[in-house]
Amino acid sequence: MESEVIEANILLPQHLSFKRVQMSEKYPKGQARGRHWKHLKQIIQAENYQTYPANEPNYVNIESPPSMYPSKKFCDITGFEAPYVDPRTNLRYANSEVFKRIRALPNEYVQRYLALRNAAIVLK
Amino acid sequence: MPYITRPSRQSDYNNFPASCPIVIDNGGSNFRIGWAGESDPRITFRNVVQRPRHKATGETVTIVGDHDPALMKYFDCTRSSYRSAFDSNVVYQFEIMEYVLDFGFERMGADGSKVDHPILITESVCNPVQSRSKMAELLFETYGVPSLAFGVDAAFSYKYNQGLGICSKDGLAICVGLTTSHSIPIVSGEPVFEACCRANIGGYHVTDYLKQLLSLKYPNHMPSITWEKVEDLKMEHGYVALDYTSEVRLFQKGGKEAEEKTRCWQLPWIPPPTEEPPSEEEIARKAAIKEKQGQRLREMAAAKRSSRINELENELNGLEFLMKQLENVEENDIPAFLSATGYVSKQEIESSIVKVSQSLRKAKGEQVENEDKLESSTSEKYPLINIPDNMLSPEQLKEKRKQLFLKTTSEGRQRAKQKRFEEELQRERQNQQDEEKRLENPELYLEQLRTKHRELSEKVEQRKRLKANGTRTNGNQNLSGGVGRGERLNAAQKERMRLLTTAAFDRGKGEDTFGSKDEDWQLYKLMSRDNDDDDDGQEEDEAELARVTSRLQDIDPTFVAKLDVGPFQPLTEAPRFRPLTKEDFQIIIGVERFRCPEILFQPNMIGVDQAGLDEMAGISIQRLSVKENGIEDRITNSILVTGGSCLFHGMTDRLEAGIRMIRPFQSPIRVVRASDPVLDAWRGAASYAAAPLFLRQTFSRQDYYEKGEDWLRRYHIRYSL
Repeated sequence: MESEVIEANILLPQHLSFKRVQMSEKYPKGQARGRHWKHLKQIIQAENYQTYPANEPNYVNIESPPSMYPSKKFCDITGFEAPYVDPRTNLRYANSEVFKRIRALPNEYVQRYLALRNAAIVLK
Repeated sequence: MPYITRPSRQSDYNNFPASCPIVIDNGGSNFRIGWAGESDPRITFRNVVQRPRHKATGETVTIVGDHDPALMKYFDCTRSSYRSAFDSNVVYQFEIMEYVLDFGFERMGADGSKVDHPILITESVCNPVQSRSKMAELLFETYGVPSLAFGVDAAFSYKYNQGLGICSKDGLAICVGLTTSHSIPIVSGEPVFEACCRANIGGYHVTDYLKQLLSLKYPNHMPSITWEKVEDLKMEHGYVALDYTSEVRLFQKGGKEAEEKTRCWQLPWIPPPTEEPPSEEEIARKAAIKEKQGQRLREMAAAKRSSRINELENELNGLEFLMKQLENVEENDIPAFLSATGYVSKQEIESSIVKVSQSLRKAKGEQVENEDKLESSTSEKYPLINIPDNMLSPEQLKEKRKQLFLKTTSEGRQRAKQKRFEEELQRERQNQQDEEKRLENPELYLEQLRTKHRELSEKVEQRKRLKANGTRTNGNQNLSGGVGRGERLNAAQKERMRLLTTAAFDRGKGEDTFGSKDEDWQLYKLMSRDNDDDDDGQEEDEAELARVTSRLQDIDPTFVAKLDVGPFQPLTEAPRFRPLTKEDFQIIIGVERFRCPEILFQPNMIGVDQAGLDEMAGISIQRLSVKENGIEDRITNSILVTGGSCLFHGMTDRLEAGIRMIRPFQSPIRVVRASDPVLDAWRGAASYAAAPLFLRQTFSRQDYYEKGEDWLRRYHIRYSL
């Protein structure tokens, strides 16, 4: 190890006295462990929230419902209010200048703009 | 967040008794750990782990939290970026969590065989029991923690601010976190989780949105737009508009106010070195050098010329001397005499004398007028031409043929000269006519000349384009001579193609009579490539154009002759780039300043179909089952915003306006910001853990194994002790 690295003291020590089980014992080196954790979605699925009374708060039912208000349309490029939608790219735009810019955009950028509001075409 | 400093290891760990709890605020962005009862956490670092490979030794090392990026040169980070233990706001990767806890306890100074202190650690609202039990298991099994308590950060923050008198015992805690936002009603000092509400949107999304927008707006500055930098920009310049629509209209309209609100980030830019115009001295010096060089060249040329003249004169003298000597030699002895000199006959010597004297005259700069001289004596020069063939010997016949050839060529030259002369005359006459016309009415004349020039130049251009058209449409055409389908041809090429096809398909049809007439062979001429254009008309036009142009240049001072651009010149000429200026390295942040934080109030803007912060408050109040008299008014009168993302300027005003729209007319509404939105959760937890009754809220390892998972699922601490 370079002295600079040691001086900076950024590395976590391999052995820590206050631990009953060291990291190297728990996850021995050179052993493929695969994925040993669940994503949040899987965790929630495994929780079986539907078996519990509905008035009991849980991670799923405290989630915010969709907004009561109709969603406002904003220009994807500028953020201005957008009265128009380009039928070719599906981008919302505020005025003719933005429209010109939209039409000049390469498809990759159009898709990235759409992805910003989760409206991109996802090919599976 | 930028790299600040690495937390140093605490040395007073052993001064604290085993009963003193350690308090951990395990937040999505920052991990804070410290002692109960203290005012500030001892250690704070970003809740991330990086596991790069050390380049020299090849072993995988663990780096927790932020660090000096300069040290990364020793590590191979290609396969490891920052990793977080959180999925949304729930801990799911406990291996990473273990590294984080390792580092936290190590920095706290733990050195015994286990961490022998009760632990209070924060978790998300309604944390799934799987995550909670894994965390308990980790703390009990690996660190040997005696007892443990889980609490919610927003509630601790509210309790802390309640203690400061900022909010009352009934109220609403709105916590805007890294990936989620919560609104939790507090009734009689206890959070009511039945009525709480969570939107999956937070500061992370704001930064991400800003980063994406900026990198889409400035694709060429993508490398400069790093996560850390954007985070800084967000914190420094982001604000929440009181009314997004009117604010954005302000920017759409433009004007002074919008300009004042626009921020500009100047990227590092080094101006290109400006070329200074050379000073007079420099110019003079250069001119002197040039003059000197010219002088030298002239001198060299003069020396060369004089030496050549000398040489030629010597040769001439020698030849003349030889001639004189020859006069004294007898006719029969001539070949023997000449064999030594290299000449064969007397005539040869004479002709070389003529030649040498001619070149001598030329070298001396005298006009060579032998052509005129030759003309006068055609009969002398070509004596054999007028003698019939049958009177000549074969050698003489040969000579005659040579003379004939010479005569025709010289005549042709003469004719061409004559023609040129006539043309010159014609031009002179035309110029004279023009001059007269000009003197009559200068304006009209100039106008006419200009139109003529325009027409002619257009005509010439047109022809050039036509000529160039077919050959430039694709590169291989010149090589193969073929023409791709659908490619544009000019008229001549079309005609040629037609001829070729008819010639190809006519074969075998009927009797082949090709070649019986002489005109048939003309077809090949038409087919040939050189036939493409009729040059005569073009040449005339070009000559006329040149004349008109020169004339215009003489008379009209405003006239600028269009450069004669050949058909291939534009291709070879490199496109000129506009030099980059300071403005090209600026990132302008205008609407984005409030457009990005706006997603907290309108998650729809980034495609999250959930209610925003203001609506969440209304939903929480609606969900409250306690229908005590006036409880709703009491709650709305004490709304506390906390969490890192509530630091945006204008947050409380906007929340107040938004909640006012939801609540009945004249409801009391008071929105306050926590005293320190970032640290209050830890401080609240620390003061909570310092209370003597805290230990009754914890559970031990034994409890954990005896009572089972169902108990852990329902486990809640009481926040008011």
